Amino acid sequence: MTRLPLDDLTATIARIRGLLLTEEKVDRAVSLLARAIKESMPGNPGTGVSLLDAGGKRTSSASTDAMVEQADAIQYSLGEGPCLTAWASEEVVIIDDVHTDDRWPRWRDAVLGMPVRSVVSTPLMAGKEALGALKIYSALPGQYDESTGRVLSLFAGTAATLLAHIQGSEAPLKMTESLKATVSSRDLINRACGMLMERHGVSHDQAMQELIKNARAAGATLVEVSEQLVTRVPPAER
Amino acid sequence: MGFDPHEPEQRSQLKDALSAADITVGELWLRYFSMSGSAGEYEVHAYLQGLISLPVTQRDLLALACNEMIAETPPKYAPYADQIVGAEPDDVPSGEVRRRDAPPS
Repeated sequence: MTRLPLDDLTATIARIRGLLLTEEKVDRAVSLLARAIKESMPGNPGTGVSLLDAGGKRTSSASTDAMVEQADAIQYSLGEGPCLTAWASEEVVIIDDVHTDDRWPRWRDAVLGMPVRSVVSTPLMAGKEALGALKIYSALPGQYDESTGRVLSLFAGTAATLLAHIQGSEAPLKMTESLKATVSSRDLINRACGMLMERHGVSHDQAMQELIKNARAAGATLVEVSEQLVTRVPPAER
Repeated sequence: MGFDPHEPEQRSQLKDALSAADITVGELWLRYFSMSGSAGEYEVHAYLQGLISLPVTQRDLLALACNEMIAETPPKYAPYADQIVGAEPDDVPSGEVRRRDAPPS
């Protein structure tokens, strides 16, 4: 039996459906987003966007300043910090002054010498899934409050919807699984239809209607009744 | 091809069922496609909008696809106090870290 090149098929279908763009496009979208936030915030702060996979590993990021990149890299290497908390708790995190906040002691100690005093970070939520975090770092303490958090959340909401579609890394995997299941159940049901057509001399449409009727009568799914039909040949017909 | 007299009613009740169960047209189509449905996603959209007519078998397949998805959706139960993660950190056994969307065990 020849195996269907499912991986190729998945990628093709995903691309046709606009689910998959290249990594280049993801990076560009993310960096435009970081710049847009920077421009819209007073006081010329440093901003950044990180996309994380389900395990908290960074898959893509962009920042407007080298300082943001550095403070971020420390977070992900230590495994603690405001953005990771925003991502994991799915809530906005605000730090009034990094020097006096001791929620992330190791991260604080590592960034003490850097121009990072106030921070606000919001999760990027696409539906129920946290894709990553947006963050703003300012060199002055006490720059951000709940209202900044709300503004940033507005950005995050729109951005996440877009990013959910261009984020390519996990989409092919998910597509492959669902595509495999889809193709094989479609196969199975069509085979069951074919058997009914041959057995009763009916059209494909009539065979399908009979399958639907059987599924409804048995309170089973179409796949279940088809499976039964295909795997069990009635004794009378042996 | 004219409308079957029952088609508008079947269509509008399918739409109601989809919105009540929070199923998107894309999800419905994928399921319907896996059940050997022959209409494309675009056509299913158009059918739900009442723009095109589908043969009765395809309509019933869509209904069955929708019903199978509804049957698979776990019902939502109200949680007890000790199932709310983060409410009382002392009550959660140590080492048990769950994301907020994790189902109550």
